[in-house]
Amino acid sequence: MAHTQLAVLFTSVALIVIGLYAAIFVDNIIKKIIGISFIEEGANLFIVGIGYKPGGIVPILMPGMNSTWFASNASYPLPYGLVLTSIVIGASTLAVMLALVMVLYRRYGTLSTSVMLADTSHQEEYDE
Amino acid sequence: MNELIPLMVIVPMMAALLISAFSKFDKVIKVFAFVVALCLPIIPLLSNYGVHYFGGYAPIVDNITNILYHPAITYSFNFPQQIFIGMVGILTFLVVFIYLTKYTKVSGPYLFLLFMGTAAVTALILTDDIFHMFVFFEILALAQVGIVAASSIDYSYEMALKYMILGSIGSPIMLLGIGFLLAMTGTVNITDIVAIIRDGIISTSSPMFFLSLALIFFGWLYASGLPPFHTIKSGIYSKAEPHGAALLQSFTVISMISIVIIMFRIYSVLPIFEVLIVLFSVLAMILGVSLALTQTDFRRMIGFLAVGELGFIGLGIGLGTQYAITAGLFQALNEIVITALLFIGFGAIVNATNEVDTRKLGGLLASHPKVGIMLLIGGLAMAGVPPLSGFQSKLMLVQASLSCGYPELSILTIMVSIATFVVFVKTFYSMFLRPKPHDLEVVDKDVPRAMIFAMVVLLIIIVALGIFPDVVTNGISNFVGGMLH
Repeated sequence: MAHTQLAVLFTSVALIVIGLYAAIFVDNIIKKIIGISFIEEGANLFIVGIGYKPGGIVPILMPGMNSTWFASNASYPLPYGLVLTSIVIGASTLAVMLALVMVLYRRYGTLSTSVMLADTSHQEEYDE
Repeated sequence: MNELIPLMVIVPMMAALLISAFSKFDKVIKVFAFVVALCLPIIPLLSNYGVHYFGGYAPIVDNITNILYHPAITYSFNFPQQIFIGMVGILTFLVVFIYLTKYTKVSGPYLFLLFMGTAAVTALILTDDIFHMFVFFEILALAQVGIVAASSIDYSYEMALKYMILGSIGSPIMLLGIGFLLAMTGTVNITDIVAIIRDGIISTSSPMFFLSLALIFFGWLYASGLPPFHTIKSGIYSKAEPHGAALLQSFTVISMISIVIIMFRIYSVLPIFEVLIVLFSVLAMILGVSLALTQTDFRRMIGFLAVGELGFIGLGIGLGTQYAITAGLFQALNEIVITALLFIGFGAIVNATNEVDTRKLGGLLASHPKVGIMLLIGGLAMAGVPPLSGFQSKLMLVQASLSCGYPELSILTIMVSIATFVVFVKTFYSMFLRPKPHDLEVVDKDVPRAMIFAMVVLLIIIVALGIFPDVVTNGISNFVGGMLH
């Protein structure tokens, strides 16, 4: 495995771990959402890393290129296509989450999840 | 006509976008939404079985591995897809019909969410591409959150945000699992991945393969509402409008079976896979029914019962034989119909009393006999009382557990069914049979006709499937047989 690919892998693991910590343990909802974005970007970075090829060229077949040479030298394009879609989905999810936070902030006047989501948590504690 | 296969997704999706864009024209979107909803169960009936390659890119043979690769996103349409898409279509039609008749001014964004959810769940069950599955899994989660947030019930925003936070952790974890599979196989087409595993091109004992299972499994638990996500799942049902909850639970069931079948095709080579499915299913059965016993809010009670029923589905699929998987899928179909009937029926009671606490209700059989009787039949079907549909699928599950050599699982299945019966009878007694409390005001005595119509349609399906289960089970069994061999 190339050094670049290894670095990408470590970075993505670091992003996911930091994100998980923030999403689970931090009380502020905005910081929680930033943590969630870290997890998403960590997963995306990991998938980008899969397509990396040491010394590979951009996977666009230009006029005059030999297709066999292109196939053996270009980096793998499928992960990039997938990540592009994943980024769009992540942005939509983020927008909806922030919209919900805006409504709840107006209602409660705080960004603390322990206050904002207290009523639903109370119900679940009762259930458990 | 294989051209109709993509239309099952495109029609509700385009309808959702058009309704959202022209939501100012109230009367027009009402008629349009009704017509599109009516078409939804008809399209799968007209379509032929087969596959659809997007862009027309047919599979190509790899010269080195001799594997038939699928370069395009592929939709596969067979009997189970037909029956499940048809059932979601019927349910969407009934829910849209209830919604359109309930309000004089309808909300375009709410109809958008209903249709978008239907499109997403249809794509989930049709797709043969694991990344495509992930995309629609996310769209479905957004639609579910929207349906909950759009209700006027207290704390619906809070519950929607909570569900979204959990989903936003579950989805990238699932994506990571898909990434591991992609790294190992170089493809996201499920048939190709299965062929690569079957031909021994990748090692199924590698830690990466196990890790991908663990990550995708986590995403599946979230999508299905199995433990540890059972409380949040029942929570979102209780915070949605009752007709919305009826549709939401069908989305959950279909996303559960779609993802578990994909996992089954890829990971059934690992013995731990079936153990994991059975373990979480048994947990869901026990937790679902025991938490339902403690509820006083009847919407939440049905939510927990629905989670318990999901456990039955998982049990069938986890046992892994042709008969057991058929039983699990038949149970899934029954759960969609029965739980929808219960949500709509209890919705009628909310409509009439503005009360959800069973301790404050009573004597409703006198004012709402039709709803009471239909709810009773629905509850008995869920508990597995003959000759209703729930009985047939649960009997098949008991037989499957016995034939697989697990009599303890069959005993558990019977015990959970009895507990479900107790929960339902207790709730039914509190709401309908005991004397009416003095302070209970029945606000609206007339149950909307659309709700009665929807309940009658669902009841007919329950009785028909109970008397003629072979109509469905034979087709499902043939499909499962093909999948296993």
